[in-house]
Amino acid sequence: MAGDQKDIDLRTAINAISDVVQNRPRPLRLFDQIYMKAGDMVLQSELVARWADGKKLAFIGDGDAISVCVAYLHAREILEYGPSEIVVFDFDERICGAVSRFADKERLTGLRAELYNCLDAFPGPLDFDCFYTNPPWGASNDGESVKVFAQRGMEATSYRGEGMVVIADDVDLEWPKRVLANVQQFIIGAGFFVQRMMPQLHRYHLDDAPNLRSCNLIVKALPDNEAPGPSTAISDAARLAHFYGRDNPPKVRYIRERKRLDYGKAHDDEYSLELLE
Amino acid sequence: MLIILKPGQGLLYMKVGTHAQESLEDIIVRKTREIELAGFALWGYGGSTCHPQTMVQPFARSFEQRGQTIYLCMQPMESSHFAEPIRAEEYSVDGLAWQPIPQAINVLGSRYALAIRGLRKEEFDLPLAKTKVALGNSMGSNGDRYIAGRVDKACLEITEEIDTPVVPEPKVHISLVAEIVKPYAVHVRNSPK
Ligand SMILES: C[S@@+](CC[C@H](N)C(=O)[O-])C[C@H]1O[C@@H](n2cnc3c(N)ncnc32)[C@H](O)[C@@H]1O
Repeated sequence: MAGDQKDIDLRTAINAISDVVQNRPRPLRLFDQIYMKAGDMVLQSELVARWADGKKLAFIGDGDAISVCVAYLHAREILEYGPSEIVVFDFDERICGAVSRFADKERLTGLRAELYNCLDAFPGPLDFDCFYTNPPWGASNDGESVKVFAQRGMEATSYRGEGMVVIADDVDLEWPKRVLANVQQFIIGAGFFVQRMMPQLHRYHLDDAPNLRSCNLIVKALPDNEAPGPSTAISDAARLAHFYGRDNPPKVRYIRERKRLDYGKAHDDEYSLELLE
Repeated sequence: MLIILKPGQGLLYMKVGTHAQESLEDIIVRKTREIELAGFALWGYGGSTCHPQTMVQPFARSFEQRGQTIYLCMQPMESSHFAEPIRAEEYSVDGLAWQPIPQAINVLGSRYALAIRGLRKEEFDLPLAKTKVALGNSMGSNGDRYIAGRVDKACLEITEEIDTPVVPEPKVHISLVAEIVKPYAVHVRNSPK
């Protein structure tokens, strides 16, 4: 990790994040796309850039576009540190497209996106140093959905790297505590340990739980840890029954993008023009 | 029939905006005609706290499996924000397969709608502190604290006996109720995409 948090020019950083936010496709609640608020994105991006400085980083799903922020802040020299290479794996072609278009426009050569559903075997490469995931938080599945995303992340590092898992953390609610416990058990079972837990950090555009925050669970492989075997598809019905909420198993392989010419602009079916006399 | 709220009972609480021009009685007459003609009516709603697939359907299904009727308990409030008067033409249970909304049923300017029957006036106080959120990201939250925020509808479960309180307690006044019936909640749209 690069040293301590340096002073950053907040105005420039927020304006950069604003460019990224403007570029995000509209979230689909059905697939647990719930975007992080802009202020928290600034701080989270700085942290991720410092944590993964000089490393090869995989994002397992990234509707928030933290990947883009990290690459952009680094390339614009708002941050002096950042990962050497970033790949976003997401099953939403709109998100992959938004990442690729932004990377192309801003010449972020170390950033790319790949269409991938985490129920399928991980396609590789398997030489990532670290992974980041903000998965479906698993209120109704005791964290099974988190485990699936975390597993793909660990696979991306061949079970040898580090990871940042961003999941719900709340003082009052019971379910996030159960999920946190189950996820930690799962990670330990895979030969990782919890290096650091930063409680109750981020807020989201989440109407049904506006005060619910998430934490960073930072995990690291034990020395000499090895992959339990090759990556395989996940089809266990019991594991998937409540993946996107109670009684909502995954049914979709990919979200496809309807190509349009006016990305990020108001759609012309939203308005009509009334002319001056 | 008066509805009975016992611990373990599920209900969907909702604030509803009403026109000054149309009384609750008028709304009931209008919707009851739809129910007579089509077997059920669609009650439009918006927002994202009660998504048909992630919230209302699994909620209603699980309580129905316990042999319960799920009540929609509404707190009418005069409002000047109205749904656009565009009639929805199609509905969908899963957001994938769409079918035409029966001619008899009118649902205006909403994204989602509840399938209801037995819409009627019924007046009672609901002490939200004796409920909790039944599922979703706020599962387990106290109903009173949950609704106090920016939230105006919720899938709740009664947690304690609702008897006459010894000390005054926060409550909301319900005056309109209905039964939620299969398919419980649907997506609606006005034109095929
Ligand atoms: C599940 S959301 C979690 C909330 C997070 N704050 C966000 O909106 O990005 C994270 C990302 O995972 C992606 N995702 C959901 N299901 C997926 C799947 N089966 N395979 C791969 N990515 C998936 C979503 O498209 C989204 O970009």
